[in-house]
Amino acid sequence: MTSTMEPAAEQRELPETRDRREFLATRRRTVAVELTMTVLTVAVAVLIAFLVVLATGKDAGGALDALLTGPLERTPRIGRWLADATTLSLLGLSVAIPFRARQISLGAEGQVYAGALASALVAINLHLPPVAAVLVPLGAAALAGGALGAVPGVMKARLGANEIVATLMLNAVVVRVFDYLLTDHLKAPGSSAVQSAPVRPDSALPLLSNFFEVPLDQANIGLFGMLAVAAAVWFLLARTPLGYRIRVTGSNPDFARYGGLDVPRTIEWSFVIGGALAGLAGAHLALGIYGGLQPDMAGGLAFEGIVVALLGRNNPVGVVAAALLYSYLRVGGDVMEQQTDVGSDAVTIIQAVIVLLVTARALPELVKRYLARREAR
Amino acid sequence: MEPIEETDETVGTAPAAPPALQAVGLGKTYPNGTRAVSGVDLSVPRGEIRAIVGQNGAGKSTLMKLLYGLEQPSAGQLGVHGRRVRFAGPQDAIALGVGMVHQNLMLVPSFTVAENVVLGVEPGRAGRVDRAAAVERTAALAEQSGLAVDPEARVDAVSVGMRQRAEILKALHRGARILILDEPTAVLTPQETTDLFTAIRRLRDAGMTVLFISHKLKEVREISDRVTVMRAGSVIDTVRTEESTPAQLASMMVGREMSLDVPRHPARPGANTLRVRELSGPAVHGVSLDIAAGEIVGLAGVEGNGQTELVELLAGLRRPTAGTVTVDDTDVTHLDAAGHRRAGVAHVPEDRLTNGAALDRSIADNLIVDRHDRPPVARRGILRTRRIRELAEDLISRYAIRAPHPDAAAGALSGGNLQKVVVARELSAEPRLLLAAQLTRGVDIGAMHFMYERLVEARDAGAAVLLVSADLGELLALSDRLLVIKDGRLVARFDDPAELTEETTGLYMLGVERHPDERITAGVR
Repeated sequence: MTSTMEPAAEQRELPETRDRREFLATRRRTVAVELTMTVLTVAVAVLIAFLVVLATGKDAGGALDALLTGPLERTPRIGRWLADATTLSLLGLSVAIPFRARQISLGAEGQVYAGALASALVAINLHLPPVAAVLVPLGAAALAGGALGAVPGVMKARLGANEIVATLMLNAVVVRVFDYLLTDHLKAPGSSAVQSAPVRPDSALPLLSNFFEVPLDQANIGLFGMLAVAAAVWFLLARTPLGYRIRVTGSNPDFARYGGLDVPRTIEWSFVIGGALAGLAGAHLALGIYGGLQPDMAGGLAFEGIVVALLGRNNPVGVVAAALLYSYLRVGGDVMEQQTDVGSDAVTIIQAVIVLLVTARALPELVKRYLARREAR
Repeated sequence: MEPIEETDETVGTAPAAPPALQAVGLGKTYPNGTRAVSGVDLSVPRGEIRAIVGQNGAGKSTLMKLLYGLEQPSAGQLGVHGRRVRFAGPQDAIALGVGMVHQNLMLVPSFTVAENVVLGVEPGRAGRVDRAAAVERTAALAEQSGLAVDPEARVDAVSVGMRQRAEILKALHRGARILILDEPTAVLTPQETTDLFTAIRRLRDAGMTVLFISHKLKEVREISDRVTVMRAGSVIDTVRTEESTPAQLASMMVGREMSLDVPRHPARPGANTLRVRELSGPAVHGVSLDIAAGEIVGLAGVEGNGQTELVELLAGLRRPTAGTVTVDDTDVTHLDAAGHRRAGVAHVPEDRLTNGAALDRSIADNLIVDRHDRPPVARRGILRTRRIRELAEDLISRYAIRAPHPDAAAGALSGGNLQKVVVARELSAEPRLLLAAQLTRGVDIGAMHFMYERLVEARDAGAAVLLVSADLGELLALSDRLLVIKDGRLVARFDDPAELTEETTGLYMLGVERHPDERITAGVR
């Protein structure tokens, strides 16, 4: 580089504008690279599962075909996919908010059952006017989940308890209480199976099949509710002072305290909001999917929410996208199990490989290293 | 791991006595494309003390890492005593007699000095360390080199100066013939610095080659035989120390003419803004002082004598156990950091990386932490992103922060620019009281000068300023009054520091002399 002797005023302006342009270009490129890497990660995971199936000597091609195209072949499967993604998105968001405040909350499971219980109690027992019949149970679920989130939140923020232990232990308690209430007090009279009375028809989340006139299984307007919630979470984190406090506390709690932010209060709010969202996920199960309470109704979903939050980088848009992808694989796995002799274990392998690749950020790192080495040659 | 490649081939032209250390066209480009060093030619004869100076990001540290094998060059060659070498790691450099003392000392705190010195090459057989031999060797080395240490003292119980001497002895014990010292005086008192320099000269006279990295020009001029100036990853020039002037070196470092003086007229102190009475807390004992609006009060002391704790008490980050603090008319004694900020206290923390910034958040986010929930940044519970952007752009241009965009992560900025972000935030709050701890630590000369000007500007605008610094020259240049702290107590007060020298102040810092309490608290009621 040769230095110009007398840089004119506008020439001196140039480095800054160039830096700015490069920064914006890099930022755009980073988004593209991240997206590509996520897709690649999933592709690699699918490939590994394919090889595993191949190694067992089964029809790997057919299995892969069922997995990848199965969910779209019939509309009820699409409905199952969307319904599953709705619950999973809410759970992912519920984990992502404490994550953003650098709190590892594993309390979604307990909060889901608390939310399901609260919404079902209201929806079974209270006679409410049409729209309120849906909104009041949802509110009850959010309150129950939020209240349950507040417990580990306060323990962590004020008493310094380990939030992982606190949330896990609380899960154990809440799930047992749920089982006890369901079997001993809420079991529908005259029913042989352990399940509650159905919720009132007014309180059930309206099914999407009513609007689109194709069978869409249990998919309901909860889908749109979930999208609205995701938008609200984005707004909370990006555009409100509380969201700012959550982000800064998560980035550097010492800096937050130095800057005059109320760190304990911020941590508590992150748990409460996360809990409320998990409560809503519970309401979606009770009012939308099962129309009542059933034992083990959340399955392993609560913990899959953690995977989804990780996969979506705790970003609301990313979480919804990750949930859609993850649910697609779940439904595809079921199809594969029905249509081929390959069990849904292969899907479990895919999921596990995704989790490993994503959490270790292995793929981008390997690619970066390879590129660096090539450049150095 | 690649083996050391040793050949008889010399690098460049072969002089009569080959240089102890030589680099030809040395370059380092990091995988992310950052070119830290490029085309560096360096030739240090045996028995020379060579200073390497440059601003932050000039490539000094990278060059040292290359010379010590911590990083591998992407271009160029290295020679040690005329032999071409390749270092796969520090162990190769050590094997060839290159030793390095890092800025952050790397010793095992719970080991004794002698144990640390022999660590890695312990005397004794079959996995057993012969402690007596270790102590003996350490004592002998200390005697030879003039680096006084107590071999049997635990490292965590000895002064920073002795830790550093132990670190140098460690390098000597491993047979170092070339010693790299990375900013060795940053943590030392003036007296300790003088002792260190005496020892370095003695080592030089015995044939040791010393590379001395610093950005303190005064010390560089005192200790070095020649100075190599780096800027933007390249060597600008190498000059004989006695033929250079500080202004000349500074100009070479920043690439333009620059003055080292801080223009400032005498303070016009107003009413007292800060009143501290008998304040005690962790590591602080019964401190009483006043700071008036419009004056800069310097606080000198050897690091670790309570200045950190005092500043954090005054900023609301620690709780006092006794005493009172008022700012203007607000009793802030028991308020938290938020309460202090409401009372008009701003705080430049001593370590910006610990609590001065959120590195993975944007510059804009870092600039609004104290005002994120009120107008103009927020209204009706909603952040106004346009206003935040404007505020950030304004501060970035007013404080000459070199940043591509307000949305860029704070962690991507260089040390000096990150410090400017902190200072911009704290000063733009128009504080009544400014607590400035290590305002210019790790900041290059250009930015340093800028900070000084802003500090004096804040003073002239009526802020009371408490300036804490490990750099005595800085304190003497900026303070309208100077206090000295030792073991958490104020031990000296100079109301007219203009006449003061670093040496005199050093005597008070070390506790050799102290002022009577009446003098320290005169006028403080």
